[in-house]
Amino acid sequence: MASVSEMYDVTWEEMRDKLRKWREDNHRNSEQIVDVGEELINEHASKLGDDIWIIYEQVMIAALDCSRDDLAWTCLQELKRQFPGSQRVKRLAGMRLEALEKYEDASKQYDSILQDDPTNTAARKRKISILKAQGKSAEAIRELNEYLEQFVGDQEAWHELSELYINEHDCLGDLGVREAAVFHGGVCVCVCKQHTGSVVTLAGGQCLQECLARYGKAAFCLEELMMTNPHNHLYCEQYAEVKYTQGGLENLELSRKYFAQALKLNNRNMRALFGLYMSASHIAASPKVNATVKKANVKYATWATNQINRAYQLAGRGTKENKCSVKAVEEMLESITMS
Amino acid sequence: MVGELDLKKSCRYANQLKNMAELLLDSSIRIWVVLPIVLITFCVGIIRHYVTQLLQSDKKVDLEQVSDSQVLLRSRILRENGKYIPKQSFNMRKQYFNDAETGFFKKVKRKVTPKNPMTDTSMLTDMMKGNLTNVLPMIVIGGWINWAFSGFVITKVPFPLTLRFKPMLQRGIELLSLDASWVSSASWYFLNVFGLRSMYSLILGQDNAADQSRIMQDQMTGAAMAMPPDPNKAFKSEWEALEIVEHKWALENVEEELMSRDLNFCGIFSQEIKATMF
Repeated sequence: MASVSEMYDVTWEEMRDKLRKWREDNHRNSEQIVDVGEELINEHASKLGDDIWIIYEQVMIAALDCSRDDLAWTCLQELKRQFPGSQRVKRLAGMRLEALEKYEDASKQYDSILQDDPTNTAARKRKISILKAQGKSAEAIRELNEYLEQFVGDQEAWHELSELYINEHDCLGDLGVREAAVFHGGVCVCVCKQHTGSVVTLAGGQCLQECLARYGKAAFCLEELMMTNPHNHLYCEQYAEVKYTQGGLENLELSRKYFAQALKLNNRNMRALFGLYMSASHIAASPKVNATVKKANVKYATWATNQINRAYQLAGRGTKENKCSVKAVEEMLESITMS
Repeated sequence: MVGELDLKKSCRYANQLKNMAELLLDSSIRIWVVLPIVLITFCVGIIRHYVTQLLQSDKKVDLEQVSDSQVLLRSRILRENGKYIPKQSFNMRKQYFNDAETGFFKKVKRKVTPKNPMTDTSMLTDMMKGNLTNVLPMIVIGGWINWAFSGFVITKVPFPLTLRFKPMLQRGIELLSLDASWVSSASWYFLNVFGLRSMYSLILGQDNAADQSRIMQDQMTGAAMAMPPDPNKAFKSEWEALEIVEHKWALENVEEELMSRDLNFCGIFSQEIKATMF
């Protein structure tokens, strides 16, 4: 197999700079990191100087992602030799145990870190990811909530919590109950055994209200993220999607607004454009709105349709496939309006 | 000493022409006194920086302090960026912080133990270390320079000084008629200590331990560590600031603003997306 430097004709300095760029941008392209990093470590270790230690860390985590335990073990040994008793290295050792699915040992490792230093956030977060890896999402949510009570400013943790809440009820999607709730103007059609309503019960007897409440909590987490990163269009879009899923006239209006905000922040966010169209047309189709609101929403939906068509015209610009895809989009838009 | 004889000669000459205050100093003074003092001060500063780094003890951070500072940060962000979240969410959070009975800032009172420098052992050792690395070298080297390079003036400060400065700046030179602007080696040393500060930041980076004047400033302001010693005061001021904030939703007219013009799609459909590494 040709080496990276031969394939791309780059020097070791360029490889090192590329690794640094990936490190600073927090990329997770593990296979590429393993390829580049392994070669740097094996061939050019002496030239790297003190940079080598951070590269060892970066390559080790990438190696764990690619199940390259041999490489991870080598990196860990080097780091242990250089920094004995370091908590950062202990955390890496714990991560390796996690990758080997030895969750008990990993948990013990993190506990020992926390004994020395109770403020170590990395170890606590790793323990929560162990719970997540084992599939114990309810416990993971509980632990993460406790963690966030103490460390309110941890962005990563808020985002993780919102994802955990959102993924808690994929079961809803299977039965199509979510759609029913939304279409009935957002009145919560509770279908579980404890409440009156229709006959359908969900898997595990979960209460629909509870499920929708979890969406509310996910929305709370996303609000925290939106406040600390007001110019990030992705958080706005995710928040709008959660609000749309919760359903109800008020939530639909909010979701429309936040889809629009996401578009304002980034004109090229196609998902937000479709979301804007869907929320506007749902509000317009709802029987409870008055005429002015209906007219306004129809106007928004039409504008969104025009923009979508424009986007699809631009894509491909005159190629044969393009004409078909434009037609497909138009048909899809019409079908959504009618339903 | 070499310079002494020359000095006495030129002083007699200067006395003859009373108005002329120009002294001609031997150029060996420049080579053997001015430059060595600069070098000595500089090297001592660098050594002091590294010694301080070696002697520095790890700062133990209290979990509660970290937590409190993050809560204050969150409250500040709520005040500044609260307009990006819906009104109801904003009010919910404001109530969480500021409610008269159950609000966080009203309910939580932290126990504040005033840190007495005499009894708190960690602060005592820190103070001792500070004294050792900063004050002691200054005194020792200042004294040595005063002894080694005594009896002659080094340089002239570019601004006129009154006679009251003479005993301070002209140690060891008992000349009544000498202009107070001419200073001895000890004052040149002290001038260097403060003057080389910018050199240290150039070479050692900001916030280095060789920066004496900054350390003196720190000693004067007292123990100002990560959190202000009284979190209760911080909570109270944050409570007041949050009380007066009103929610003005930034998304009020977002649709109108968005739809006033077509969307800008440039760059969205690039024909070839480069997927290679380099």
